[in-house]
Amino acid sequence: MAIAAEKLQQLVSLDRGEIDRSIFSDSEIFEQEITSIFGRSWLFLCHESQIAKAGDFFEAPMGRDNVLVVRQKDGGIKGLLNTCAHRGNAVCRAEEGNVKNFMCTYHGWTYDLAGKLIGVPGLQELYHNELDLAAHGLREVAQLDTYRGFVFATADRDAPPLAEFLGRTGRAGLEMIAGQGEMEVVPGIQKFVIPCNWKFAVDNLFDWYHPQITHLSALQAGLVPAPTDPRGRQMSATGVAGPDGAELELMGGVANEDTPDQIVFLDVFGHALAGPTVETMGNLDGAVDHSWRDTPRAREALGPMARRAVGHTNIFPTLWIAPEIRQVSLRVPRGPELTEIWWFTFVPREAGPQERAMTIQAAIHVFGPAGALEQEDGENWTQSTIQTRGTASRMIPQALKMNLGRGKIVDDDGQDPPYIECGINEHGQLWTFASWMAWLSGCGWDELRNRTTPPDVI
Amino acid sequence: MTVDHSIRAETDTLAAALRQFEVERFYTDEAALLDAHRYHEWVQLFSDDTHYFMPIRRTRLRRELDKEFTKPGEIAYFDDTKPILLGRVAKLATGTAWAEDPPSRTRHFVTNVRIEEDRGDELEVSSNFILYRTRLKSEETTWAGSRRDLLRRHEGSFLIARRHILLEQTVLLSQNLSNFF
Ligand code: FES
Ligand SMILES: [Fe+2]
Repeated sequence: MAIAAEKLQQLVSLDRGEIDRSIFSDSEIFEQEITSIFGRSWLFLCHESQIAKAGDFFEAPMGRDNVLVVRQKDGGIKGLLNTCAHRGNAVCRAEEGNVKNFMCTYHGWTYDLAGKLIGVPGLQELYHNELDLAAHGLREVAQLDTYRGFVFATADRDAPPLAEFLGRTGRAGLEMIAGQGEMEVVPGIQKFVIPCNWKFAVDNLFDWYHPQITHLSALQAGLVPAPTDPRGRQMSATGVAGPDGAELELMGGVANEDTPDQIVFLDVFGHALAGPTVETMGNLDGAVDHSWRDTPRAREALGPMARRAVGHTNIFPTLWIAPEIRQVSLRVPRGPELTEIWWFTFVPREAGPQERAMTIQAAIHVFGPAGALEQEDGENWTQSTIQTRGTASRMIPQALKMNLGRGKIVDDDGQDPPYIECGINEHGQLWTFASWMAWLSGCGWDELRNRTTPPDVI
Repeated sequence: MTVDHSIRAETDTLAAALRQFEVERFYTDEAALLDAHRYHEWVQLFSDDTHYFMPIRRTRLRRELDKEFTKPGEIAYFDDTKPILLGRVAKLATGTAWAEDPPSRTRHFVTNVRIEEDRGDELEVSSNFILYRTRLKSEETTWAGSRRDLLRRHEGSFLIARRHILLEQTVLLSQNLSNFF
């Protein structure tokens, strides 16, 4: 049963910068997310390079459906639901690999790479050749398409074409990886489980307020270079002290109240980007290579703001893009309080051994479950999720009020997405939740596009 | 003649037992350091040229089992040199490593120790482990796996010159890997 519209409207307030905590653990809301968001949205499945040869497959989640992304003999790609047309058993139980056919191990129905039913034990003796093979193939996803090598699919036939769905922000986000070379995925997708709601894991990618505290130990130990304010200023931290009363010494300092050092994109369907400008981040002692931002390809594909934006993109709902470290991450909802994290790492095909090694080392040592940063993230999200259960606790709204009302959104209708130049903010998070509410209402695509067209100010 | 033989056999067995004891004592001492959060002492057990590596394991069909684990040069969970291990220990010592404050309660069990090859100064050793972890009020994780170590004889004990850790899990059923294996 759908959640009443009046109740939905109360879950997120753009004006007050408040969200209702129950959205992080309510099982009714989770069920509606599975149908209204994950049952309709374009979802990232994998990168073309992961399934280079005919018969290569990679299993990817679409909501609770498991989809086999399969390279065809003619070079095309199909997305097949991993469930047998006979009694529903999974026809493939490996997460990736190369096959000639998919044979169901229950009764032996066999499907070719395109999902066509080509073998049925006893077709003659038991089915008297009356089984309609054509009607019992593996079901395909409603639409599948690629953008710059990234494979997406949707379960909704009415969804707009992928490039249109991505909008300027989604296309720019993908370009920020694809534009770095002939990109391919390095073998090995990190997968791990955090007992938190998926939305905590998503909105954190816009959060440039937390690293200096959450990740203080990584900065102090020198495992990750600390971004410094270009003018040498420090964020005020009066009264910020540990349980022993000692004031915390902050390592970061990116906090210009008057000079905008951050760029935010807010876009249709809930896509967004947030983070520092290239001038603010710098190259972190040579750890980050920004040279691709000045290539002819980048100049052609990206507007001037996108070429200056070092922030992370979220392609709504769950694809995190981290161009500086050449990674994308999926936040896969498994339950109201369970999220799987999948990290994909990219390297240019033409990269030499040193560049390849640097990319791989950074991927392993920054994000991921043993990474210097992400070790700390999970517990924040888990504890934040747990505290939405309490009868009294869940009545306290969450506050996303930083720089609220100060984000002037500019849309010059050029290549750049609607953007804000500002200091550290919570606009990306708030926009994600406002758009989330529109998605949850189950409205049609046109209305959804209208309702997720950014306002003039946030 | 027979007497000679049996004495030699006995001497070999005794030497093997002694070596087995040395290696197992090394591992139990190592585990005790980890469970007591004595990371500074623990990291000294590694040689300067060590490689501490935990690949990603993938559910593959039996016919493709050679591709089950990622290899060095691909993505892994740990792919650490000594300086990186020292960095991890330094991070834990900052007092701001929140994922381990309050600290996880861990218990390392190391069993099935097999000396696969003894080259005199270096030993190839495989072992099985269970690492039990519990955190805060409700978090509980158990990792089981095997370790393939290269142990180098050093001052009457060993240095770990290589440790490859093979977990049994493919999707990690834990929110992080903030502990050592
Ligand atoms: S369920 Fe697949 S063949 Fe019967
Ligand atoms: Fe973080």
